[in-house]
Amino acid sequence: MAPPKKSHRPSDANRLARGGRPDPRLKKCPFCEHGTLYIDYKDYPALKPFIDYFGNIRKRYYTGVCLKHQKMLKTAVERARFMAMLAYRK
Amino acid sequence: MPQLVPTSEDSRIYEWCVLYPYPMTQKEEQQVTKEVEGHFEEAGARQVAKDAWGRRGLAYSVGGFKEGNFTVYYYEMDPGKVKEVDNALRITKGVLRHIAVKPPKRYQVVQFSEAYVQWLKDRKTVEEQRAAAREEKVQEQIARRAKMKAKATAERKKTAKPAEQPLGEEALTEQIEKLISDDSVDL
Repeated sequence: MAPPKKSHRPSDANRLARGGRPDPRLKKCPFCEHGTLYIDYKDYPALKPFIDYFGNIRKRYYTGVCLKHQKMLKTAVERARFMAMLAYRK
Repeated sequence: MPQLVPTSEDSRIYEWCVLYPYPMTQKEEQQVTKEVEGHFEEAGARQVAKDAWGRRGLAYSVGGFKEGNFTVYYYEMDPGKVKEVDNALRITKGVLRHIAVKPPKRYQVVQFSEAYVQWLKDRKTVEEQRAAAREEKVQEQIARRAKMKAKATAERKKTAKPAEQPLGEEALTEQIEKLISDDSVDL
């Protein structure tokens, strides 16, 4: 069996020690941490952090949301937009 | 909060969110809500819960209205009747938008009218705290700067004092006399 490949990517601790910012790929899903089963379109405070200034949904890469919850978030945001609780475009 | 469990197997619980325009006379409002609830009654629906949000700003203008009045209804009804009610709501005057959602299993009704108000309050307090912290930081900076300035001026005074001593008149004349009487200096 071949030995496992060594990663050339510096670990998060290394980055932090060098005064850099944490690796955005290592974020945890905020919904998974709370054990969210359903994202409600009526819950504006919950949706707001995942919407940028222009009213777009923030990328998973930046927020760290897992794919399952990102899909839930998308439906919630689209419903909220239709009901004029969120803007389509600012 | 009540958990949404249908009483029979044929029926299901649906969540209906209806958006009414905000500046509305009480009479009109009563009429519209009566009409909307009438549509549900016609379809044989049973109201499980209701959440009236009241006045709320809209993210974009709908039908010329910039403010709206949201009401969330939870109805237990026959799934076959949903389309009927949907079509009826679509042509009801005084209803800007409506949406029907099938809540997931074990969904708990949240009174978002209260939750939103609470959130607004919390946000305000958080902002106030942040503003207070900022103010404190600025004050600290000003104090530090004033201290530094005072220190710098004190130091300057200390160093400048010996150089600044002006010669008295007598001492000056004495020195001049000395210079004049000095033979080694060839004037």
